[in-house]
Amino acid sequence: MRKTLLWILLAATPATARAQDLKIPADVEKLSAKAKETVEVTMDGPMLKWASKFLSAEDPEEKKCAELVANLRGIYVRSFEFDKEGAYTSAEVDALRAQVRAPGWSRVVGVRSERDGDNVDVFFKLENDKMAGIIIIAAEPRELTFVNIVGPLEVDQLADLGGEFGIPKLNHESLSKAQKGEHK
Amino acid sequence: MTHTDEDLKSALRRCEAPEGFTDRVLARVANEQAVESTSGRESGLNIFSRPVLPWATVAVASVALIAGGIHYRNVQRERTQGEAAKQQLMLALRIASSKLQLAKAKVNDINVNQTKNRQVKE
Repeated sequence: MRKTLLWILLAATPATARAQDLKIPADVEKLSAKAKETVEVTMDGPMLKWASKFLSAEDPEEKKCAELVANLRGIYVRSFEFDKEGAYTSAEVDALRAQVRAPGWSRVVGVRSERDGDNVDVFFKLENDKMAGIIIIAAEPRELTFVNIVGPLEVDQLADLGGEFGIPKLNHESLSKAQKGEHK
Repeated sequence: MTHTDEDLKSALRRCEAPEGFTDRVLARVANEQAVESTSGRESGLNIFSRPVLPWATVAVASVALIAGGIHYRNVQRERTQGEAAKQQLMLALRIASSKLQLAKAKVNDINVNQTKNRQVKE
């Protein structure tokens, strides 16, 4: 019985680890040396739980954050901001994308903009038809960002935080208005 | 009863002390001094042992103060670390949210452009 349990644990561990340990390639980690600003956030389950204890229930923004992270198992962010364009190569971004070619992951958004050079990929991980993780790779001319959120998550809730954080919410209407304004 | 000069003289006449008198006196003096010094030490100890309550109160208060100080410092440290962790968490969510918004904006942008192109063609 014990042996069976041990085998189950041994078999289950790599699968769990695989889901969470999408490592940032060493080449990408090295980019912090070139970057003007680097943001590194590594928060696994216990750390996430502990940090969320300090989110105030009275502050609406923090309350939303607390709801969002309640069931998460990890948040990993690397964001590099550079002084000039071309500080990173497409191979380095490809190395990041290659990480997400694992089974279970599917790319839901892939934008390549030749006009402004913004490339954004959003990958979802589904488990039993439920969201189990999200990876965002945003490669902008002077900025490279990798976000990995592990655990059940409401994407709309996460996107909604944009408005809360002082970033204007973007929808069809606001975008159309903005574009009309540009054309004027 | 009357005392004559002769009586007085015979009473006050010099006579030798009995044998061993000096030794006995010296021994007794030494004995009494020893007893005095012992009782003196006891009374000295009493000075310290008598006010037990105030000393204990001071000791307990000091320990409580130190323990309270350590606890307060730990709580403060934990709160500072927690606040820093919270800020990190908020920053991570902010970045995730903004990049998701960027993706959304790009998709919307493409949709709007396609609609526009279609309208122009029509």
